[in-house]
Amino acid sequence: MTPGLVVSNLSAGYGDVSVLTDVSMSAEVGVITAVIGSNGAGKTTLLRSLSGLLKPRQGSIRIGDAELSGSKALDFVNAGIAHVPEGRRLFAGMTVEDNLLMGAFARVAPLAELRRDLDRIYAMFPKLAERRRQDAVSMSGGEQQMCAIGRGLMSRPRVLMIDELSLGLSPVAVDFLVESLKTISSDGVGIVVVEQDVAVALDLARHVVVMDRGRVSKAGSSSDIAQDRAIRVAYLGVD
Amino acid sequence: MQLAQVILNGLLLGGLYAAMAAGFSLVWGVLNIINIAQGSAVVLGSYVAYFAWRYAGLNPLLAVALAGPLLFGAGWVLQRFLIQRVIAAPVLITLVFTFGMDLILNNTMISLFTADYRKIEGVFPTVPLHFGALTLPVDRLLAAAAGIGVAFGLHFYLHRSRLGRAIVAVRMDRQTAELMGVRVEIIYATTFGLGLAMAGVAGCLLAAIFPTSPLNSAYYLHIAFVACVLGGLGSVLGAVAGGLLLGVVESLGALFVGAEYGTTVAAVVLLLMLFTRPQGLLGRAGYE
Ligand SMILES: Nc1ncnc2c1ncn2[C@@H]1O[C@H](COP(=O)(O)OP(=O)(O)OP(=O)(O)O)[C@@H](O)[C@H]1O
Ligand SMILES: [Mg+2]
Repeated sequence: MTPGLVVSNLSAGYGDVSVLTDVSMSAEVGVITAVIGSNGAGKTTLLRSLSGLLKPRQGSIRIGDAELSGSKALDFVNAGIAHVPEGRRLFAGMTVEDNLLMGAFARVAPLAELRRDLDRIYAMFPKLAERRRQDAVSMSGGEQQMCAIGRGLMSRPRVLMIDELSLGLSPVAVDFLVESLKTISSDGVGIVVVEQDVAVALDLARHVVVMDRGRVSKAGSSSDIAQDRAIRVAYLGVD
Repeated sequence: MQLAQVILNGLLLGGLYAAMAAGFSLVWGVLNIINIAQGSAVVLGSYVAYFAWRYAGLNPLLAVALAGPLLFGAGWVLQRFLIQRVIAAPVLITLVFTFGMDLILNNTMISLFTADYRKIEGVFPTVPLHFGALTLPVDRLLAAAAGIGVAFGLHFYLHRSRLGRAIVAVRMDRQTAELMGVRVEIIYATTFGLGLAMAGVAGCLLAAIFPTSPLNSAYYLHIAFVACVLGGLGSVLGAVAGGLLLGVVESLGALFVGAEYGTTVAAVVLLLMLFTRPQGLLGRAGYE
């Protein structure tokens, strides 16, 4: 149980609108944590706060000994947080490899080291190796998600956060990504996945955080959450 | 044969236009700033070359190594500490801002250097090269080659270097670039610096051939603007293509319609282009 990311009493919003209220959660290194919740619950807002894109109003975001609340996005990357944004947001007009290299922007590493990391990602996602010189946004949704995850990994994160892993992807692609994420986490990376498909989330994650209207309404091991009657009714449509 | 010579002349001119347009296009694409001061920055580059030649005997093509870094630094500081304050404002605000910059720079040059035309002389051989019936003036050939070379250099810098890639990434998606740890304000400063550096380089090359005066600045701005729109906004290679096309169109226009109508013909081609292919030669539909 190595705590990677620890979030306490976080509140955040846009302008006058407050979205997150008193959110506390943690993501351990080597563990997959899923965040589920209905549309507009604030999952994306949470991840945006945890990567420095959005300044929280209150609360603390710690990774290791570092307090990151109020810091810039660059400090979050340097502290070991990578964020794969909703909709993947690959850089259009740039090749797959250039997109991956952008993931390593904050690291000032020798080229040989970057090459090794690229090769690791190509080994994990052979499709990307085939398409390394291709415009990244010309690929299928699943391949784009691989590229976005690979780009996140290129920063060598302690915690990798993925917003909407499976949205719009084929079941085959989702299965492949789920297996890949399990491998990545067993290599010692903490993973936070925001996932609409609760069945996928429960299969993938060890811990589940349920969000409702900007608050954490429930959190626990995925087996506990899977047993929870209210969750089963609300998200899985079963009794 | 005369036609071939006219096209060649157009290409030689176009090489200079390419250098003028490349930086202008980059700044427009990445920062969404239409830099009205680009023409005056070109003239400033010409003065650097002129005075370096006048007082140190420096070849104007080598003055590129002086004007480039100088204008890069000026552009970097200007963007980082001044324009950055209004960067998020509507494009009209930044337009007015660079318009003001242009007024200040241009009038400063007029009061320091007067509006007299100054010409660098005696650096290049005056006897042109001959290829069959084609005539190639040495100074124009070198300047055009340098212009295209520097523009290609900028293109490769953008696509092959770490910082260059970050510039392209910021252009495509600022917020996601931020997620990669890119400090957007530094990228903006670097980009504006590169834009002015390209203007400075173009100014040196122009000074090798044409007389220098602050009065040229509006014409240079016009060239940069037209070449950039012809080639496709924000693309450096597009600016090269647009510059070459503009040079050839102007030369052909002068041949077929009359010497005084070269620019007019270019303007007509620009309009036709905007009707038929608004994204420009190498631009992509839907960018920006
Ligand atoms: N840029 C913004 N400005 C103002 N309000 C916003 C902004 N982005 C999101 N919101 C609001 O914040 C709330 C939470 O949005 P958020 O995107 O975090 O939800 P989500 O849980 O990710 O939803 P989804 O499942 O649809 O992705 C919503 O009510 C939304 O309207
Ligand atoms: Mg969302």
